[in-house]
Order: sequence, then structure tokens, then C-alpha cells
Amino acid sequence: MAEGAELATAPRAGLRARLAMLEPVTLLWLVLVAGLIFLVAAPLLKMLLISFEEQDTGDFTLMNYATAYGRQRYLDALRNSLLLGLLSAAISTIIAVPMAWAVSRTDMPGKGFTWAMVLAAFVMPPYLGAIGWILLAGPNAGWINQVWRAVTGAQEPLINVYTFGGLAFVIALHSFPLVFIFVKSALDLISSEMEDAANIMGAGTWTTMRKVTLPLVWPSILGGFILIFLETIALFGTPAIIGIPARINVVTIQLWQFFEDPVRVEVAAAYAIPLLLITVALIGVQKLLLSRKGFVSQTGKGSERRQLKLGPWRWVLFAWCFGVALLAVLKPLLVLLQASFAKAWGRGFSLDNLTLRNYRMLLFEHDMALQSAWNTIWFSAASAGLALILALLVAYIVVRRLIRFADGLAFLAMAPFVIPGIVMAIGFYAAYAGPPLMLYGSALLIILAFTARFLPIAYANAQASIRAVHPEMEEAARILGCGRLQTIRRITAPLLKTSLLGGWLIVFIVASRELSAAIFLVGPRTRTMSVLLYDLSEQGNFELVSAFGGILLVITMVFVGIGMKLVGRDFMLRRD
Amino acid sequence: MMMLDRRGILALGAWAAATSKAFAQGPMPEHERVLYEAARREGEITWYSGQYSAEASEAAGRVFNERYPGVRCNVVRSTSQVAFQRLSQDLRAGVAQCDVLSSTNGGHYAQLKRQNRLMQFRPKNADGLLTPLRIADPDNFYQSTFLGIFLLAHNTRLVSEADAPKFWKDILDPKWKDKLAVGHPGFSGAIGLWAMEMRRLYSWDYFKQLERNKPQIGRSSIDPITTMNAGERGVGVAVSSASTLLSISRGNPLKLIYPEEGVLAALSPSAIIRNAPHPNAAKLFMEFQTGVGLSNAIRLLFNESIRPDVPPPEGSRPLDQVKMLAPSIEDAEKGVPEVRDAWRDTFGV
Repeated sequence: MAEGAELATAPRAGLRARLAMLEPVTLLWLVLVAGLIFLVAAPLLKMLLISFEEQDTGDFTLMNYATAYGRQRYLDALRNSLLLGLLSAAISTIIAVPMAWAVSRTDMPGKGFTWAMVLAAFVMPPYLGAIGWILLAGPNAGWINQVWRAVTGAQEPLINVYTFGGLAFVIALHSFPLVFIFVKSALDLISSEMEDAANIMGAGTWTTMRKVTLPLVWPSILGGFILIFLETIALFGTPAIIGIPARINVVTIQLWQFFEDPVRVEVAAAYAIPLLLITVALIGVQKLLLSRKGFVSQTGKGSERRQLKLGPWRWVLFAWCFGVALLAVLKPLLVLLQASFAKAWGRGFSLDNLTLRNYRMLLFEHDMALQSAWNTIWFSAASAGLALILALLVAYIVVRRLIRFADGLAFLAMAPFVIPGIVMAIGFYAAYAGPPLMLYGSALLIILAFTARFLPIAYANAQASIRAVHPEMEEAARILGCGRLQTIRRITAPLLKTSLLGGWLIVFIVASRELSAAIFLVGPRTRTMSVLLYDLSEQGNFELVSAFGGILLVITMVFVGIGMKLVGRDFMLRRD
Repeated sequence: MMMLDRRGILALGAWAAATSKAFAQGPMPEHERVLYEAARREGEITWYSGQYSAEASEAAGRVFNERYPGVRCNVVRSTSQVAFQRLSQDLRAGVAQCDVLSSTNGGHYAQLKRQNRLMQFRPKNADGLLTPLRIADPDNFYQSTFLGIFLLAHNTRLVSEADAPKFWKDILDPKWKDKLAVGHPGFSGAIGLWAMEMRRLYSWDYFKQLERNKPQIGRSSIDPITTMNAGERGVGVAVSSASTLLSISRGNPLKLIYPEEGVLAALSPSAIIRNAPHPNAAKLFMEFQTGVGLSNAIRLLFNESIRPDVPPPEGSRPLDQVKMLAPSIEDAEKGVPEVRDAWRDTFGV
């Protein structure tokens, strides 16, 4: 305030004085704002604008909206996506909450195993899981149904992946780790005293969990639910692979159709805007639901966390976790592995069906397979690095409150969190594919899109890490004459090294399996493994696709392995 | 077309394998040598390939690379409608990435020619093509590079030869409910052409009835072959003969059915895009596609050779004994988008 008054009385001198006093961090702030606008705000704004433009003339029109909502089929797709999002999120929550509770609060056996399986389900790209489930639960040829028929003599299949429920279930099997991570990290913070209090008042374990423990982590459950809803409505691969045979049209497939010739980016933009509105509404609902603010579980007092002794019930919980692991990881992996070494997967596990042809084709004969593997690695690594640097700087400014309007920066950095990936890709295509930047098909465009898309993950990570570092160490450096940036480089960054590496790894993993943004932006030589997998899956050649998926998994596992070595097993869980 | 018995075919197969090696090392005709010199300076050619399967496209790309070292063929294989969508996105963004487009849906070329998006070029090797393929466009904006046969097939373990459908219209019988598999005209160009022909023969009612039989809808015309191999469905509709024969050669229990109304014959061209980033390499690639190189490479994967001096693939019925439905390029330009849209209304995807 005092500065402001001085500025008012002597504007010119004050301005000069202020310029002289300009810290590099102010300049940095400007650069960050420009960067965030370029990555987040401009593509969205461009999309909003062209949704009101006529294709050739650029004149104002509402026709795009009329086209986008003028057919029953398009509206059906919208409804299907919303229902699918809700159903997948609900199933994920049902799967994950008991697991999180069991791992965090109880003496359930096999916690390491459960943890590894959650990680594996997270690492496995959803479209690969989808193919695994086609092999498992195809109504006639799926392994589960074959066994079912052989054992019971039944005619009808036990399960059918080509249904709405099947689609939602398969999506949930690869989304639930997000709920698990959210809920477990919240549960870890609750001290046993709260549960003790409930016990003293006469509540049993079950009642305590239902009335005390779970309500305390309600915000995390809701957060995870919303995140999975958003991920599901933005998912491209699984609906294309399962949804088309199941004859379920969804928003992402419909958006893709608007890119058919003639390319109607304007209509696609108009069709995507409501997704943003729905998202905003959801966040509003979340705020409303949580407005009672009764969720404080961390206080200044020391507290104790004990494991609940469940007796025989711990085996029930373990059975639940094992069942989930079986469905989400073990079974799909087994059949994918079989298919990848098979001449024809339907012929089953026999010696004369074994072949290395699929791997040989990919490793030695395919023009793009290795190139795409390399693309995937370096695009993911570059965007993870870029996102993390950006996130670290923004988080530092926000957490240390170095600048007014810092919250605006935080808002921009977190905004992609609530933008479905496919919407972001269309924004990027509209804003940067053509003139003046002409970035279409370039590696840079894909890296930037990945950076923007996963910035919130990096930001959440960086923010939590910086909060954990007390400013006094930086102050010491400042007193000894370091500038801000030097302090960050020499004091803060080294202190944060481990947790930042964890954040980098998470972004790397999610970027390496990204499909819905990449599919709109790649060029001939910049295709990623996920896009190539999608191309290969068109022909239904699951043997080849499985082999390629196997290679992708091996690459990811190498990075996960390095991560665990450097950061520790629970690098995914390092959050605030 | 030459008539050969099985032994003759096998002998020719061995001959073709030997020639493909000879082809890579053989002397280059003058017109190719000139193009090759110019193409080497460009270094690569990007091929949006929707006609041949992923395996055959990769094989063709490898033969090209061996024959013309220093010019790398970037194979971008997808279904034809998706390849065209990629090209449309390129054109919309104003970024030139594609040199040669090969789509099963001939209608794409009529449209691109009308929009002045194609480069005029007549490969010399096109003079040696099968007679009906020699001239695709009198103005030489596109050239025939593909002769695809699409027909019915069945899994012999699930559907006996006696029970198998004989006509395209047989699959409308309610006894085929939940037993059919088919591709999608929004992805596959061939399925677009096929749907157009069925509409011509039987009106759109054909698909309304087909819908009642709940076919499993994939994307590519090749997708139903995997579905049949797995035992998921018994009959594949409008599947590619080449990919079916390849699958049979790998021990899968499939059999081709030549429907009485005629098989769908897709005589489809390729073209150089006007703003191709590597125009000389693109021309060289067109010479390659119309020359013996491509036919030799793809016939080993059971695709129809498009030249009389390269024998047809093993196991396929000679084309002069097959009744064909061959839609024209002009009809396809208007018809395929129509049936694609009608398909989505009828089937929901």
C-alpha cells in the first residue's frame, strides 16, 4: 500500500525507482504469465472464438452450434459420454475406497502386493487394457466365457465386454488408481484418536469407518470421482476399440468425426464447449458439497496412527484387493502376453501357436515402430521436464507470495486439470496447427500440448514439495547475498530433488500413454507409440498390437524401476 | 489374364521371391534413374497408405527402400477414410506432409482433382499395368495402384460350407443374428464402396435388415478376419481376399465365399498431392507402385498383382472367372459420404 501511495504522488520518479528496483523475479513472472497464456489460455480462447466463426469467411455465426446439436446422434453421444463418465467414476470409487482404507488404516496382509498392482494398473495404458478385456470377455471367444461355457455347459456368455456396462467397467479398471491415491493420502493423515473417540462412544469398527473415517476423506473421494469423470469423457482409445463394436457413440468419437473431410474445426469447437461448462458445473458442485468445511484432520497436536486389527476380516479385504488385481492387471496382462506370442490368439496356449513373428515384425521390419518408441520417450521426457520447471517456478512464486496476483498464475496452471484432453487438443490444433506458427505435425506442438495437458499434475506436486521447505533456509541464503533465482537453483531445487523427480516420473508415465490429444496433432514422423497402436488396432490384429503394447510396457517399467530406485517405492503418493 | 494350375503358381511364387531380390539389385530404366537422382536430394517420401494392409504396406515400403537407397519411404498406414482425414487436416492447417495418397475410396481423387489439390503425372511404368487399370484418369492426375477383392468368408469350424451364405443378401436371414462381422464405412474405404453397391442392388433397406442381425462392427475391412479367427463370429462380411488368404496360409480355419451377385472389386488409384514436400520422390514412388516392384512385394501377401507380368497370388480365384461389382470413381465421390452418414444413423456408430 505504501508503495502505491508513493506512486500516486510522484508517478514518474516512482516508476523509475521501481524499475531500478526490479527484481529478476518480476521479469520471470512476466515470462511465466506469457508461457501460461500461450499454453493454456490462448488455445481455449481460440477455440471459443472459432466456435462462432463461419469456416471460410470468419464471419460471426451460430450455425456451428446448430450443426453440432442438430442431430439426435450427436446428442446421444453427449448423453452416452456423461453416463459413461458417471458410471466409470462410480465403479472406480467402489473399487478403490476399500482398497485405500485397507492399505492405509488396517492390518490387511499383502499391502506391498496391492500397492504394486495399483501402480501396474496405473501404468498400463487404458487402450491396452481394453484389448486385454476383448480377449477375456468377448461374448463368444473371450477366455472367461470359454471357460464358463466349458464348466457350466451354458449357451449364453457370462460377461460381454461389448456393452455399456462392459465399457464402463474396463475404463474403471484403469482409472481407479487415481481415487486410490487421493483417498489413501488423505486417510494417511487421520490420526487414530478420532477413531478411538468413536470407539469409546460405543461404535464398532464398521460404524467408525462409515461415520468417522470415510466422511473425513469425503473431499478426496469426491475429487477422485470428478477427476475420473473428466478422464472418462475425454478418453478416445477405449471407446474406439470397445465402443464401436458395442455400437456406443461417445463425444470423443463424435469430435473425431467432425475432423473428417471437410474438416469442421468450428463445429468440433462448438461441440466441445459444453464439456467445459459441465466441468465448471462439477467443480461448482464440489465446492458446494464441501462448503461445510468439517474435514480438518491435521492439527498442531501430535497424533498417533495405529493399524486397525481386523481379525479374519482382513482376509476378506485382501480377497477384494486380489480380485481387483486379477481383473485390472493379472488377467489382461496374461492374455496380452499370450496373444503377443501367438499366431492366432483364439487358438490358445499351444506350442504350434507360438511365434516370435509379431515382435520380429515390430522390431526389425516396421518402418515406424522403433521411431515411435523413441518419440514417445523423448516427447514424454521433454514435456515432463518442461511442465515441472514451469510448475516449480509458478509454485514458488505462489507459495512464497512473491508477487501480487500470484493466485492468477496458480489458476492458469491448474486450469488444464478440468479441461478434457481432447478439448485441449482441438484448441491446440485451432490455435497453432496453421498459420502463423504452422506447428502441425511437429514434435514441438506435441510436447507443448502434453506440457499443457499435464501441467496441473506437475503443479500439484511442485506446490506440495515447496510447502514442505521452510523459507528460513532460503532466507539464510538471501542474507548471505544470493539473488532469488540463485537461491532457487542452489538451495530450494536441491532440497526438492527427490520429490520433483517423483513428479517428473508421474508426468512421464501419463504422457507416454497419452492418445486423445496426440491423435489430433501428430505427423508422419512424429507418431507416438499410442497413436501407432491405435492405427494398428484398426485392423483388429490383436497379436501385433499386444506385442507392441508389451514393448510399451517394458519401456514404461524401466522408467518406473528407475523412479523407485531413486525416489522410493511410493513416489506416486508424495502429495500434500 | 494368364491361367495357371497350382504347380505353375508355386513355381511362379518361387520365381517372384527370386525376382524381388533381383529387383532390388537390377538395372534401373532411364526414366527411373533420372527421378531417383532428383529424389535422393529430397531424401524421403511420405506415403499415406490405405489400400494395402499394414503388413503389405510395410513390405512395399521396405522393397522401395532397398531398391532406391537414400530415399526413405515413410509408411503411414491407416484405413482409407482415416488417411484422407489426415490429409484433410494437413490441408486445413496448410502444412504439407503427404507426398502420395493411396486410398481404396476412389471418390477421394475425384474430389481432390476438382479442388485442384493433385499434381499431374503419368508414370511410364503405368503402360505395363493390366489393361483395365492402365488409364484411371484421362488427365493423369491419379493412377491405378490397387485391385482389391472384397467378399464373404466363414470360419469353417463354426459355419459349415453347406450352411454358409452364397449371396450378399443371404446374410439378412435372421439365422445369422449375432454371427456376422463387418468393417465400418467411416474408416474403411472399401466398406464404403461395398455399402454403396449393396444400396444400389437392394436399396438402403438392406442395411436396416442387416442391423437386425447385430453384426459386430469393426473399423477396417480386415478387422472381421481376426474376429473370425478368434471364433467370436462365424461369417465375415466384405472382408479383403488378400488378408483372408494370408490368414488361411497361417493355419486359421477360414474359407472365402464368392457371392453370386459378384465380389466387390476396388480398382483404386494413388495420386501425388500438389504441394507434396518431396515431388521427385513422389514421382519415383508412383513409378514404383505401377512397376513390378510393388506387385511383386504385395502378391507374396496374397494381394492381386496389378501387372500381367507378375502372377496373381496363390489360392485366389483367377479374376477372369469372377463376377465383379466395380463402382466408378464418380459414383464414389458422392455415394460413399452418403452411405457413411446413413450407416451411422442406422447402426448408431
